[in-house]
Amino acid sequence: MNLTFQPVRVATGSDEEGVLVFDEERRLLVVLTRLSSDNEVAPGQWFLEAGFGRLEGRSQPTFSDLEAAQDWISQRIG
Amino acid sequence: MTLTLHSTDNPLIRKLESIFVLTNDERRALENLPMQIAVIKDDQDIVREGDSPSRSCLILSGFTCTYKVTAEGKRQIVSFNIPGDIPDLQSLHLKVLDNGISTLSPCRVGFIPHEALRDICARYPRIASGLWRETLIDAAIFREWMTSIGRREAYIRIAHLLCELLVRMKAVGLAEEHSCDLPITQAEFSDALGLTTVHVNRVLQALRADGLIQSKGTRLSVPDWNKLMEAGEFDPGYLHLVQEDAAA
Repeated sequence: MNLTFQPVRVATGSDEEGVLVFDEERRLLVVLTRLSSDNEVAPGQWFLEAGFGRLEGRSQPTFSDLEAAQDWISQRIG
Repeated sequence: MTLTLHSTDNPLIRKLESIFVLTNDERRALENLPMQIAVIKDDQDIVREGDSPSRSCLILSGFTCTYKVTAEGKRQIVSFNIPGDIPDLQSLHLKVLDNGISTLSPCRVGFIPHEALRDICARYPRIASGLWRETLIDAAIFREWMTSIGRREAYIRIAHLLCELLVRMKAVGLAEEHSCDLPITQAEFSDALGLTTVHVNRVLQALRADGLIQSKGTRLSVPDWNKLMEAGEFDPGYLHLVQEDAAA
């Protein structure tokens, strides 16, 4: 599965750097944000801010880098 | 080790005294209630779902939580328990526990045999009513939590929970003014509130930035109590505290 990452700013009020992740048909799958260094839980990690369809849910993991996020997403929509 | 506690050290006696004036006989019976005292480290199960305990545990010091675990292994904390609480009192009548209870901080707990509880309830109906009342208040707290988790926004939800904990701690003499020791981690708040730890952290930071809370280590202070109550839409009515000044 070929995913496309598009940088975006997200108005979370704290962690604004983000990416939109699209599938091959340009459908939006998830919004990821990069947690700032002020975050006390997982500073610098990528957080699954919102997911759609099969990626929607209460389990919103954090990833050490975008590659890890890509693997996680691919596994679930595989 | 089995021993009896002086009434001033026994949070159960203090709690019942906040509801009605104990007669000398009632007080003596409570003081003589056999209790095995245990010191338990943090993050240990006191009882597990499926257990059929023959005793109930009175929290003497420290924090515990009542929890359930989903098939996927995710924990939902359904209440925090503080000194004076008997979080598995229902096991006196319900044979199999449908939840676990675990320590959050190092705790001292007193295990009271069911037989002794049954006996004291049969002999002293007002004590039986007092214990029944406790389980009814537990249910009121569950209703409030369900409302919060299902319908309150994260910011309000966390402010509400902090208000609840502070009022309950104050009612058992463990909070000064609007400050108390709260050894609950952000991950534990997350399990209790149905939020991710990332959200819990963002909201706690926002509450600090808005001047509603201050924290230093495990110490929580509330500079403006009315403002936090307002932010949390908090009305202490569901805690049914008899002491009117508990929330003041």
